[in-house]
Amino acid sequence: MATVAAPPVQKSISDNISGWIKQRVLAKRGPLTPPFELEYRHIFVLPTKFGSGFGFMLVCMALGGLNFNNNMALILVFLLGTIAQLTTLIAYRNLSGLKIDSVWSEPVFCGEDANFRVFVSNREDRQRFAIQAGFNQAQDCKDFKLNSSDSFLLKHPTLSRGWLEMPSFRLETRFPLGLFKAWSWVFPQTRCLVYPEPAKKAPPLPRSGHGQTGRPAKGDGDEIHGLRKYQAGDSIHRVAWRASARHDELYSLEMESPREDACELDWDLLKGGDHETRLSILTAWVIAADHKQLSYSLKLPGTQIAAGKGASHRSQCLESLALYLL
Amino acid sequence: MLDQRGILWVIATLVISMLPQLASMPVQLVAITLLPVAWRILAEFRHWKPMPIILRILATALAVAVLVSTYGGLVGRRAAVSMLVLMLALKLLETFRIRDARIVASLALFLCGTQFLFSQGPAMIVYIVACLLSSLIAFIYLQRSEAFAVLGKAPETDRKLLTELAFGASMMGLALPVGLALFLLFPRWGSPLWGLPEDALDARSGLSDSMTPGSIQSLFMDDSPAFRAQFETGIPSNSELYWRGPVFWNFDGQSWKVSYLSRNLEADNKPDPENAAFRYVVQMEPTEQKWLFALDYPAMIPGNTKLTMDYQLITTRPITQLREYVMASDPGFHDSPELKQTLRRAALDLPEGFNPKTAEMMANWRKAAQSDAEIIQRTLQYFNQQQFRYTLNPPLLSQHTVDEFLFDTQAGFCEHYASAFTVMMRMAGIPARVVTGYQGGYYNNVGSYVLVRQSDAHAWSEVWVSGSGWTRIDPTAAVAPERVEQGAVESLDQRRYMLDFQWLRNARNTFDLFQRGWNIWVVAFGADSQSRLFSIFGWEILGPAKLVIAMLTAILVIGAIIFLLAPLLLKFRSSKKPDPLSLLWKKFIRKLERAGVVSKPSMAAMELAANANSQLGYKGDVIFRIAELYTLCRYSRDAGRQTELAELINTFQSRSIS
Repeated sequence: MATVAAPPVQKSISDNISGWIKQRVLAKRGPLTPPFELEYRHIFVLPTKFGSGFGFMLVCMALGGLNFNNNMALILVFLLGTIAQLTTLIAYRNLSGLKIDSVWSEPVFCGEDANFRVFVSNREDRQRFAIQAGFNQAQDCKDFKLNSSDSFLLKHPTLSRGWLEMPSFRLETRFPLGLFKAWSWVFPQTRCLVYPEPAKKAPPLPRSGHGQTGRPAKGDGDEIHGLRKYQAGDSIHRVAWRASARHDELYSLEMESPREDACELDWDLLKGGDHETRLSILTAWVIAADHKQLSYSLKLPGTQIAAGKGASHRSQCLESLALYLL
Repeated sequence: MLDQRGILWVIATLVISMLPQLASMPVQLVAITLLPVAWRILAEFRHWKPMPIILRILATALAVAVLVSTYGGLVGRRAAVSMLVLMLALKLLETFRIRDARIVASLALFLCGTQFLFSQGPAMIVYIVACLLSSLIAFIYLQRSEAFAVLGKAPETDRKLLTELAFGASMMGLALPVGLALFLLFPRWGSPLWGLPEDALDARSGLSDSMTPGSIQSLFMDDSPAFRAQFETGIPSNSELYWRGPVFWNFDGQSWKVSYLSRNLEADNKPDPENAAFRYVVQMEPTEQKWLFALDYPAMIPGNTKLTMDYQLITTRPITQLREYVMASDPGFHDSPELKQTLRRAALDLPEGFNPKTAEMMANWRKAAQSDAEIIQRTLQYFNQQQFRYTLNPPLLSQHTVDEFLFDTQAGFCEHYASAFTVMMRMAGIPARVVTGYQGGYYNNVGSYVLVRQSDAHAWSEVWVSGSGWTRIDPTAAVAPERVEQGAVESLDQRRYMLDFQWLRNARNTFDLFQRGWNIWVVAFGADSQSRLFSIFGWEILGPAKLVIAMLTAILVIGAIIFLLAPLLLKFRSSKKPDPLSLLWKKFIRKLERAGVVSKPSMAAMELAANANSQLGYKGDVIFRIAELYTLCRYSRDAGRQTELAELINTFQSRSIS
C-alpha cells in the first residue's frame, strides 16, 4: 500500500506566531471563504529569518556608526533600514486586492494526493510578483500580470476514503527582497471526495451478469483484437505489414465484433476480509470493468446501483463506495 | 536553487564593495582575494561542483597566512577589514545556496560600511549608490529564485534588468528623504561609548614623530588635504604661512626624534590671544596622530590639547575624525628669551663620530666669526652660493649624512636642508632644533579659505639667538626661494607622477570647496550640530523629555513621508498602461449598464451580447457586431479591427436602442 507521508512540519518561532495569528483570526472574524478579496485586515507582515538577521546586522552597523559618529556609515544604515521598511509596504500591496474566486478539486483515490485548485484573479492594473500558496510550506508560486487570473495547485495527501475537508491554506509573498513576508490565511469550505484505494491484487472480475458472457467471437469483425501468426487463407488485407516487417514473419490482424458484456459487482461475492478490503476490491473491479467498457452494476448492503457504463455511472459507483457507512 | 543571475549579482555586489579596500591592499593580497571570485564565476559558467572542504580549508589557511605575513599580524583596521574582504571572497567557494548568497550580499553591505572608517569623501556617495543598487538587484533575484524553488525555475517575466534597476533606484529614491530625516533627527551620542585601541590605528598619513631623509619626500606625492583654515582676520602672505607641527630635538646621526622633554613639558609662557594677529578656524582631516597645526605661535589651546614648551599642540587622543578648532596666532611672540641650561644642552647635543668634515668646517667658521648671527648668515650664503639643488629624487646618503650631503651630492629636499642646517648650527655652538609642519597652502577664492595639502609638508630650523629667543630659519628658502613663495609642487620643474598637471591641480583646488562643504555638513555632523539644528525649533539643550518628543516628531514626520510617497512607488510598479482593448470593452459595458443591462463578469462577450439583446428587446445587430469584433480583436490579434471597434463603441447610443 502506497502511503504518502505528510510533509514534515517544522515548527519555527515564526510558524508558531503565524499559527497563533491564525487562531486569533478564526476566533475574531470567523472563517474567510472564497470568493473574497484580500484586504488590509486580512494581511499580516512579519520579518523572515533572513530579515531578522539583516536587521541585526543593521543594528550592529548603526551602533558602530553612532559610536564613531561615522556619518557615511549612518547614512548607509538609515537608507538600508528605510528600504527594508519600505519593502513591508510593497509586500503588503503585492497581496492586497488579490481576489480568491473559488477553490475546487476532483475526486481522487485514497493514497493519491488530493489536488486543490485555487482560482485567484488580479483585478487591478498592477502586476504582482511571486505569490506563493501552500498549507504549511509553499507549494505553488505565480506571477500575476495586470488584470489576469491564474490558479494555484495545492496537493494534500489522502489517508482515508470519504470527504477530505481542505485545510486552511495561506497566500504568502516575500517580494521584493525576502526581508519580510506578508501572508493571509484562507479558510476554504471545499472538500475533496476520496475514493477507496483500489486493491492491488483484486480477484478477477466476476462475470456472472445477465449480459452475454464468454469469449467474444473472433474472426470477422470491426474491432482489432490482437495479432496472430499468418495462416494460409487469411485475407491479404488483414496482414499486419508493419509487425511482420519487424519479425521476419507474417502476422495478420485478429478481429472481433464489439459486444455487450456485463458483470455484477456484489458486496456479498466477497467473503471474508474487513470492510475496507472489500471496498477496495470493489473499487478495483469498478475501475477494471469501466476500463473494459463492460456494463456493470454495484450492490452494497443498503445500496444498489443498476447496471450501466460511462463516466457518470463510474463516479456514482465510486462515490457510493467512498461514502459507504460514513 | 540559486540561479545564475542571482549569484552573478551577488558577486558583482561583493566586488563593488571590495573596490576601495582592494585599492589599498598590497598586490599579492589583491590577487589572493580575486582568485576565489574568479573561480566562482568560472564554476557558474562551467557548472563546477563546490570545492571539497579540505581544499577550502587549505585555501583559507593559506590566505590568512599571507594576510598575517603581509600586515605583520591582524592589528590595525586595514588588516581587520582586509581579513573581512578575504573571508568574504573565500566564502564564495561554498556559496551554492540562496542562504549563503544572501549572507555574502549582506556582509558586502557591512563591508561597505567599514570603508567609511577610511574615507568619508563625497566620492563615496557613488560607492554607496553602486553597492546599494547592485545588492538590491541581487536580493530581488535571490528572492525570485527562492519563491519559485517549488516549481524548479522561475518563469521569465517582462521584468528585465532595466526594470530591476529602475525599481531598485526608485526604492532608494523613496528611502532617501526618510533616510535623511533619520540622519538629521536620530539622536547622536555626544561621546563614544568605546574607542579604538591606539594600536588599532594605522597612522596612515601626515607627519610622524620622527624625521629621516625621505619621510617628507613620500608625503610630497600625496595631494590629499591635510587641513583647511578659514581666516577671520586678513590672510597672511605665503611666506608667513608656516604651520607648526612636530618639533625635533634629538638627532642620532640618521634621523630626528621627538624628545621626552618637549612632548611632556607644558609651555610656561603662553602667547596672549589679545595680541594675536591672525584668527582662523582650522578643519583638520584625521591623521591618527596627535598633532594639531597652527601658525607660529599658537595663542589658543583647543579642548583636550596641551601646548608644549616648544609650542607644539598635542592632543590627548589621536585624531581619528574630522576635527574643527578655533585658533589664533601671534607671529610677534618672543619664544624663550632665556634658555634654560638643560634645554641649551639638549639643543646642542650631537652624536659622537658623525660628520667630521662638517664639524671641522664649522669649527673654522666659529673661529672666524664675531657673532652667532654672522655664522647663520654665512651658512645660508653657503647653501645659496654653492651648487645646491632642490630636488625630489636626491641620491641616497649612507653614514655621514651631513658630510655627504654638503660635499658630495649637494641635492636634496627640505628635510635634507633643515637637518644639515641644524647639525651645522649645533656644531658651531648655536642651539638649534628641527621643526616640521606645512608651509604655504592654496587660497580658495570662492570659499575664502586656505587649503593645505599633504604635499605642502615642510621642514625648517629654529635657532636660539640671545635677545630674540628661538628664531625660524628656513634653509630651503636660501636654496629655492620659490618653494616658499609659490609652494612646493609649483616650484618643481618636473611632474611628480604621470597625471600631475597644473590644470588638474587647479580643478582639484576649486573642487575642494565642495569637499569642504561636505565635511562641514555631512562628515562633521554630530551631537553638537544636531542640537544646533534643534535650536531652530527653540530647543537649546535637549533634555531626555524633549529628546523623546523630538524622536516622536521624527517618527511621525517619517511615517507621513512614507505614506505620502508610497503611492508614487506603487504607481511606478504598475506603470504599464492597461490594455486599451479592455478599456474599450469596459466602456461598452458601462454604456450597456446605463441602459439597464445586468451583466456578470463571468459572461463571455457573445453571451453578454445575447443577454443584452434579450434584456433590451433589441433586434438589431450592433451589439452582436461589437461583441464579435471584440472577440476577434482579443483572440486573433487583429489590430486593424480595433479602430473599427472603437468607433462602434464610441458611437453606440444605448438610449437610441432602448
